[in-house]
Amino acid sequence: MPLRYAAEQIEQHKKALVDILDTLPSIIVRVDRDGCVDLVNRRFELFSGVSAGNALGMRIVSLIPQFADQLENVGQVIDSQTPMEFDKLLCRKGSQLSYYSLEIYPLKSEGEAMAVIRIDDITEHVRIEEIMAHTEKMITVGGLAAGMAHEINNPLGAIMQNAQNIERRVSSGIPANLKAAGEVGVSLDLVRAYLEKRGIFEFISHIRTAGVRASNIINNMLHFSRRSEPQIESVDLSEMLDRTLELVASDYDMKKLYDFRNIDLVREYAPTMPPVSMVVQEMEQVFMNILKNAAQALSESGKEGTSRITMRTYADHGMAVIEIDDNGPGIDDSIRTRIFEPFFSTKEVGVGTGLGLSVAYAIVTKGHHGSLTVRSKPGQGTCFTIELPAGEELR
Amino acid sequence: MKYSEISILLVDDDEMIRNCICAFLEDEGFMVHQASSGEEALDSIVSINPTVCISDLRLAGMDGESFIRRACRLCPTTAYLLHTGMDYPLSDELRAIGMTPADVLQKPIHELSTLTRRIVAVATAGGRIG
Repeated sequence: MPLRYAAEQIEQHKKALVDILDTLPSIIVRVDRDGCVDLVNRRFELFSGVSAGNALGMRIVSLIPQFADQLENVGQVIDSQTPMEFDKLLCRKGSQLSYYSLEIYPLKSEGEAMAVIRIDDITEHVRIEEIMAHTEKMITVGGLAAGMAHEINNPLGAIMQNAQNIERRVSSGIPANLKAAGEVGVSLDLVRAYLEKRGIFEFISHIRTAGVRASNIINNMLHFSRRSEPQIESVDLSEMLDRTLELVASDYDMKKLYDFRNIDLVREYAPTMPPVSMVVQEMEQVFMNILKNAAQALSESGKEGTSRITMRTYADHGMAVIEIDDNGPGIDDSIRTRIFEPFFSTKEVGVGTGLGLSVAYAIVTKGHHGSLTVRSKPGQGTCFTIELPAGEELR
Repeated sequence: MKYSEISILLVDDDEMIRNCICAFLEDEGFMVHQASSGEEALDSIVSINPTVCISDLRLAGMDGESFIRRACRLCPTTAYLLHTGMDYPLSDELRAIGMTPADVLQKPIHELSTLTRRIVAVATAGGRIG
C-alpha cells in the first residue's frame, strides 16, 4: 500500500472519530495521570468556553473548576483501573441551576496511562424524576387525606349532632322533655335558667361552630384530592368564575396569607358568552392558582393605592377568553419566560412548590385544548390570558 | 301531616351515629327503627315497611347501594336516602328507582333539620304520606 494512501486512510479515520465525538451530546475529555488535557470534543468547548487548541496541555481542573472535587480522582481511577461515577452534581451557571453526571474511565490502551471523562447534562432527567416523585407524593397524600376525611366525618358528625341533641333535650318545646323533667321532679325552666347562668348554652353553641369549621376545613382539603372520574360539563363562565371567587374568599389557607377583602375584585364579564365545556374542578384550580399568585404579588408589592384584580371575559374567533389582570408590581422578562416551568419559583423554599402555574398550564393546554399566556409590564401589572374552545365538546 | 305517621329505618354500622340521629329523629316525632347492617335491615324491612329508609353507604358487609337495590324490591313504596362521607356520584341503578342527587346526604350533616326537611319532602312526594 502506498504510504500516501495509508496517510489518507488514517486522516479519514481520525476525522470520522472526531465527528463521532463531536456529535455525542456528552462532554468528553481525555486526560493524563496529572489531569492534563490531551483531547476534547466540541461539547467541551461549548461548555467551558475554551477552544480545543487552548485547552490542550492545560489541567482539566482549571478549565472546569466546578467539577474539581470529582476530577481529583483521575489518578486513582488510572491506578486502580476502576471507573468512577458521580450523579446529580448541581452546578449554577448564572441564574440557571443544572444537574450533571460525571464519569471517569481508565483508558485501556498501550502506552501512557490515560483516563476519559464524560460529563452529561441530566437536568431534564432529574426534573422529570422530581415531578414524578412529587406527583406520587401528592397522590399518596390525596389518598390519605380522602381516607382520613371519611374516618373523621363520622366522629365529627357525632360531635356536632349530639351537641344539637343536647340543645334540643333541654328545650321546652318537646313534650318528652317536660315529661322526663316531671318524672324526676325538676322544673325544665329552672334547669334552663341554670344552664343559661353558667354559660353552658354558649359552650354547646361553640362545640357546634367548631365542628362546622373543622368540617369545612376537611371539605376544602378534599376538594383537590377527589379521585372520582373527572366530569366534563358545559358551564356558564360568569357563574363559574363567581363561584371560584367565592371559593377563593373562603379558602382558609389563602385567607391566612392574603386578605382578599383588601383587594378590589372587579368583574368585567361579557353580557353574553357561549357555554364552555370543561372539567369544573380542574379549571377552578387553574383560576385559584392564578388568583393566588396575583394576590401574593399584590401583597408583596406594598405599593400605595388600591390593589385590584380584574376578571374579564369575552368571545373571540370561537374561543372564550378569560383575562385575570392585576395592578401589581409586574414580572421581569427573565422570570416571565420561565413562569410555567415546573418547580420554577421565585418564592422562598416552603412558600411555593413552583408547581401552581405549571399545573394550571397543563390543565388548560393538555386537558382543555386551550392556551394560557402571560403578559406583563414591570411596575404596572400582570395579565394572565386563558383561551378555551367555546361550546365545543371536549375529547 | 303528623311526623308520627312517618316511619323511618336507619341503617348505619356506627352505633354512635345511629344513636345520635335516632335521638334527633325521635325528638322530631318520627317513628324510628334502626339496623346496624344491610343484612340485618333486609331481615326487618318487610315487617317495618318504612316510609323512608336512610342508609350509610360504606357498611361492614353489604354496602349501602347493594342494600337499597335489594330493599327496594321488597319495599318498593319506601323512599330511600343515602348518607355518606364520600364523594358519591349516584349510580344509574339508584336513579332508576327514582333517587336523585338530593337524596344523597353528605356526612357530617351540620344541621339535622336539613335531614327532617328531606325526610318530609320524600315522604310526601309520590303520595306516600298525605
